[in-house]
Amino acid sequence: MTDVTRAKIGTPAVSATNVRKAFGSKEVLCDISLTINHGEVVSLIGPSGAGKSTMLRCLTLLDTFDAGRLCYGDIEVCAPSVGTDGSETKAEYSKKAMREARMRFGLVFQNFNLFPHFSVLRNVCDAPISVQKRNSQEVEAEARKILDELGLTEHADKVPCQLSGGQQQRVAIARALAMNPDVLYFDEATSALDPKLTADMHALIRRLAGEGMAIGIVTHEMGFAREVSDRITFLFDGQIVEEGPAQQVIDNPQDERTQRFLAHSVD
Amino acid sequence: MELQVMISMLATSYLVSLQIFAFTLLGAIPLGIPIALGRLSRFKPLAWLMTFYISIMRGTPLMLQMFVVFFVPYYVFGITNPPGFNLTACIIAFILNYAAYFAEIYRSGIQSMPRGQYEAAEVLGYSKPQTFFRIILPQGAKRILPTMGNEVITLVKDTSLAFSIGVAEMFTQGKGLVASQRNMIPFAICAIFYWVTCLLIEFLLRRIEKRLDYYHD
Ligand SMILES: Nc1ncnc2c1ncn2[C@@H]1O[C@H](COP(=O)(O)OP(=O)(O)OP(=O)(O)O)[C@@H](O)[C@H]1O
Ligand SMILES: [Mg+2]
Repeated sequence: MTDVTRAKIGTPAVSATNVRKAFGSKEVLCDISLTINHGEVVSLIGPSGAGKSTMLRCLTLLDTFDAGRLCYGDIEVCAPSVGTDGSETKAEYSKKAMREARMRFGLVFQNFNLFPHFSVLRNVCDAPISVQKRNSQEVEAEARKILDELGLTEHADKVPCQLSGGQQQRVAIARALAMNPDVLYFDEATSALDPKLTADMHALIRRLAGEGMAIGIVTHEMGFAREVSDRITFLFDGQIVEEGPAQQVIDNPQDERTQRFLAHSVD
Repeated sequence: MELQVMISMLATSYLVSLQIFAFTLLGAIPLGIPIALGRLSRFKPLAWLMTFYISIMRGTPLMLQMFVVFFVPYYVFGITNPPGFNLTACIIAFILNYAAYFAEIYRSGIQSMPRGQYEAAEVLGYSKPQTFFRIILPQGAKRILPTMGNEVITLVKDTSLAFSIGVAEMFTQGKGLVASQRNMIPFAICAIFYWVTCLLIEFLLRRIEKRLDYYHD
C-alpha cells in the first residue's frame, strides 16, 4: 500500500447517494445513501431479503441502480439525469467510468468464483497482466508477495480444487488485492471459516483498513460485524433503518426493527 | 488380385478419406464458435438466423447437402465444375454440416458455465472477448470433450458418404474392388482401416482428457 493511499484516509473511497433499485414493481432499495471512507470498515447487515446482495451487486457494477449517484473517488459512475420536464431522475451510467471504476474495487465472492483451470498464482496474476496490462514479471513478484502474506506460499502452483475453503477464500482475496483496489468488498466474509480463520480474517481486514483501504462487508454474522467494523449499516426492506458505530448498533440499537432482528440472532 | 495390391490401393484412397476428415475438423471446429456465439447473441435476428442454420444443417441429410454444394455452381451460376471439384465440394459440405453440430455442443458447454465465472471476470475488468477466450473457452473445452469425441468418431465413418458425389475415397474404392474381385475382402479391409482410425482417435482423446484432468470444478 502506498503512502498516497494512506494520505487519503478519511476521504470517501466509494459513495452511493439516494440510490434506488426495483425488480419489476418490487422496490428493493429505496433511497439509500452509503459512503465508505478510506481506512474504514463498514458492514451491511439485515434480515434475508433486505436487499444486501442487491446493494453489493450494484456497487460492484454487476447490476445497475435505477436512480441515484455512485462515485468511486473522483470517478462518477452514474448520476441522476434530469428529464425534459426537469423532474425525472434515472441513473445514467457512463461506460468509460464503469471501466475505470472496476479498477478501483475488488470483490470476494461468497463462493469465491476462482478460475478452476488456473493455478493459484495465475488466478492472482492474470487480470493485472491481461486487463491492467502491467509488466508480467513485476506482477508475478507482487503476487508472490501477496500470497506470502496470506500464508499461501506453498500453494502458488496448485489449482483451486486442491485447496480448502479457507485457503480458496484467501486466494480470492489475493486475486482482488493484486488489482490494487481502493475498496474491497466481501460477500459473507466468514461463513466458510472456523474460529481461528475468522480471527485471521479479522486481523487481515483491520490491517488492510489500516493501510488506507476501504472495506465493505455484507454479513449475517453479528459477532464478526461488531468486532471488525467501524460502522454498521442496518438494512431492512430496502431502507437503512439504523447506522452508526459498530458497538452502538449491535449493543444498543435504537430502531425497533433492529432490536427485534438482533434479539433473534444472538450468537 | 493379390491381397497386397488391394491393400495398397485402399490405403491410397484412405488418404483421401483422411483428407476429408482432417479438413472438416480444421474448418468446422473454429467455424462452430461464431455460429454458437451468434446463436446465443442477444441480437435476436442473428440468433434466429443461426438457429435456422443449425436446424437446416441437422435436419437434412448430409448427402443431400453435398449434392447441393456440388451442383450449385453449375445450376445456379452456370459454371462447369473444374476437375477435382467433387472433393472440394464434399469438404465444404462436411465443414458446413459439422460446424452446426459443433456449434450446438459449444452452446451447451458455454451455457453450462456457472454465472459466477462471468461475474468474477466482469469484476476483474476482463473484456467480453478476454472472458470468452481466457475463462470460458478453456473450461468449456474440457466439458465438451467427450461429446466432441463422439462426433469426431462419427465423422471418420461419415467420410464414406463422399462416394455419392464421386470422390475416390476409401469406401468408393472398396466397393469398386468388391465388384471387380467378386469377394468381400475389400470391405473387410475398409472396416479395419475405419476401426483402427477410430481406435487411434479414442486413444488421443483419452490422452487429452488426462491432460485436462489436472483440475475439476
Ligand atoms: N434478479 C432479481 N429479480 C427479481 N427479484 C429479485 C432479484 N434479486 C433479488 N430480488 C429480490 O430483491 C429482494 C432483496 O434481495 P437480496 O438478495 O438483495 O436480499 P439479501 O438482503 O441479500 O438477502 P439474504 O440475506 O437472504 O442474502 C428480495 O425480495 C428478492 O426476492
Ligand atoms: Mg444475499
